[in-house]
Amino acid sequence: MSKNKILCNTGTVDLSIKDISDEFDQIINKEESRLKLSPDNADSGLAKLVLTLVELIRKLVEKQAMRRVDGGSLTDDEIERLGETLMKLEMKMEELKKYFNLTDRDLNINLGPLGDLM
Amino acid sequence: MDKMIYSILSVKKDPEKLDTLLRSLKGIAGADLYAVSSDQISAVVSDINRPDLIANNSNAIDYAGVIETLARKFTLLPMRFGSVMDSIGSINNMLVKNYSEIQNNLQKVENKYEFGLKVFCDPEKLMSELSLESEATNETLQTSYSEMKTSVYREYVNEKLKEHKKEEILLSYVDSVIAELTEFLSQLNTLKKIKKMTSAKNIIDAVFLLKKEDKNELIQAVEDFQSKYPRLNFILTGPWPPYNFVDITIK
Repeated sequence: MSKNKILCNTGTVDLSIKDISDEFDQIINKEESRLKLSPDNADSGLAKLVLTLVELIRKLVEKQAMRRVDGGSLTDDEIERLGETLMKLEMKMEELKKYFNLTDRDLNINLGPLGDLM
Repeated sequence: MDKMIYSILSVKKDPEKLDTLLRSLKGIAGADLYAVSSDQISAVVSDINRPDLIANNSNAIDYAGVIETLARKFTLLPMRFGSVMDSIGSINNMLVKNYSEIQNNLQKVENKYEFGLKVFCDPEKLMSELSLESEATNETLQTSYSEMKTSVYREYVNEKLKEHKKEEILLSYVDSVIAELTEFLSQLNTLKKIKKMTSAKNIIDAVFLLKKEDKNELIQAVEDFQSKYPRLNFILTGPWPPYNFVDITIK
């Protein structure tokens, strides 16, 4: 295979070769983002799967809520309650991640050709 | 012994050229390559023991190397690494059963190359620059705060809203770059697949299939894009065999 397949790369953005190489590695090597379920780690594997789905739903709810706030369709009281709910949800999620020893990166599973979940 | 398939290609013009080329190449684990043909199409294969079929970098590079060398001389459809059938008879059957679909795909990619374009950015820097520009023009980020009274929950919503607006601004910026790119590609009658925001830094990940003679025009266009968008890094790669533009469900 030809050694150099890069035809054009003259950008001046302050991204080191390592940054770009890390990006390619992240795209190519999806090991970390795969769900690894086996008899030995059924608990943590299942926790990762469930928390991933909960986090996805939480982020979708948050996005939709921000759209509504931005659209001006909520009253002051509704915004107040929304803030309280979203804040508590985020805190609870942080607690659960800590409990199961998971990071944000762990919850961003790779969906193959569809890319990352979040 | 199993047969590993590297690619399916059209040999209508010069079947002997293929045999000569295959004699000069080696497949995975140094195996000899040979062609299994049906009328005007051939599958390039090598013998392989199942235990030797390991998906590692070295084998993947050897596999891709065979495909690339063949692609320089023939119109071909690259096969996915690990495409294995149990006998020459099975490969022959597959070629016969899928003959018209294979021919259609070969026609689609004839005299064309695939190119990849990845666009990177420094996400935090880009987002804050775009937000500043947006604030300067329409003050959308500012008004949402000042109108609201303060409480812990409201401040939380304000922060989230600020993030949300920054993301919207970034997405709209990426969409505008993609729209311009798409307009240029449509002039070249190019097939394309474009994904956006595949990661925080990789904001556009695209592949194009275009005529071999349009290669220099594409390079020039990407250089022009780079000058126009200095906050982004455009990386164009290729030419590649048409990995992303073969659409066959093998029967």
